[in-house]
Amino acid sequence: MIVKQAKSVEDALELLSHYGNCKIIAGGTDIIIQMNEKKVQPKVLIDISKVEELKKIEEDGDFIKIGSAVTYTDIIESSIFEGNLSGFKKACRLVGSPQIRNRGTIGGNIVNASPAADSVPPLIALGATIILESKNNIREVKVEDYFSHSETFGIREYEILTAIRFRKPKGVLTFAKLGLRKALAISRISIAALVELDKDNKVSFVRIASGSIGRYPMREHELEEFLQGKVFDDAVIDEAVKVLQGVMDVRLANRSSLPYKRRAVEAVLKEALGEVRK
Amino acid sequence: MINIKLNVNGKDYSLEIEEDKRLIDVLREDLRFTGVKEGCSEGECGACSVIMDGRIVNSCLVMAVQANGSSIVTVEGLVKDGELDPVQRAFIEKGATQCGYCTPGFIMAARAFLNRAKDPTREEIREAISGNLCRCTGYNKIVDAIEEAYRYEKGI
Repeated sequence: MIVKQAKSVEDALELLSHYGNCKIIAGGTDIIIQMNEKKVQPKVLIDISKVEELKKIEEDGDFIKIGSAVTYTDIIESSIFEGNLSGFKKACRLVGSPQIRNRGTIGGNIVNASPAADSVPPLIALGATIILESKNNIREVKVEDYFSHSETFGIREYEILTAIRFRKPKGVLTFAKLGLRKALAISRISIAALVELDKDNKVSFVRIASGSIGRYPMREHELEEFLQGKVFDDAVIDEAVKVLQGVMDVRLANRSSLPYKRRAVEAVLKEALGEVRK
Repeated sequence: MINIKLNVNGKDYSLEIEEDKRLIDVLREDLRFTGVKEGCSEGECGACSVIMDGRIVNSCLVMAVQANGSSIVTVEGLVKDGELDPVQRAFIEKGATQCGYCTPGFIMAARAFLNRAKDPTREEIREAISGNLCRCTGYNKIVDAIEEAYRYEKGI
């Protein structure tokens, strides 16, 4: 194996198109384990962890753009994700351990496509898109489509995920997760909600995404339809739990984890929706 | 083979290494900083923790090439002018070690944390060492030691 350190995105794309059987490495917290276990054996490893243009978090008018090699620690320490966006920080704080958060990147969390990727449900709730670049092309794909229609929208051999972009929301973004222990726990259930309330406390906009309640992180459309226009009180939140449990009964039918998850989801959804009101 | 430059414990090294080596391999095998321990090799145990450019990382999850141009501190780099680091002193005085295998990793995680900490709570200390596993002592004495190290440094 040879390792190439890319100096820029252009450089990385050139290397990627020049060599066959390449893998991109950024934080390395997943791929080094896979290489160590010989599950992945690339001929060429292209390191993008020191490409400055991929390590920036930028506000651009109504949009926020996060470079793909931005680490969880970068997000936790950024002043951009305060107030109504602090749910994104919460999701990043609950990833792994300090060591993992210092290296693991937001782009890696997406392209590795784990069903339990903690940063993904908040990005889906935000309606975020990802930018996939190759030497001759740029595509912008919705994060939710990347997971739900990966054959069409998934990353291709000669592409690099360079940035994640979303419009600054008016509503409040929240996140809740259930892991088996606090640190280094893979999410058993996670929920992110983006909720906007009008002056009568009615839900005027809602987008909800789950992690580990299916084969990939996904939008919870039935839950959104139920909440839309409702007065956002305890009774509605209780009803919302039942709606999500109904969805899970169908989606996770015949799964041994269903009885556990349908009970556990109550606390997770209540935490996520409850934080909208704080 | 590839050339990389590392600063380890304040000293500059220019090394020719095999490209598939991880940072831990270079630190242990090429430079003989054997205070860096390999445990799980998958970022769960933290025994290989070192400070890289001011941040705690698992050296088993960094390719050596990725550390090119970086500054690394291992447990061997903590003694200054023959004096133990306050974290090392506190680990000894609080008996926060038993078999000792996890200790360098814990000490480095504690050092990285205390470099930025302000009046840390026990909960924050536990969070700071959540990427490190100890299978002998339990964690209370380790948390005690980190609290004590903070007091040493603040002179309280």
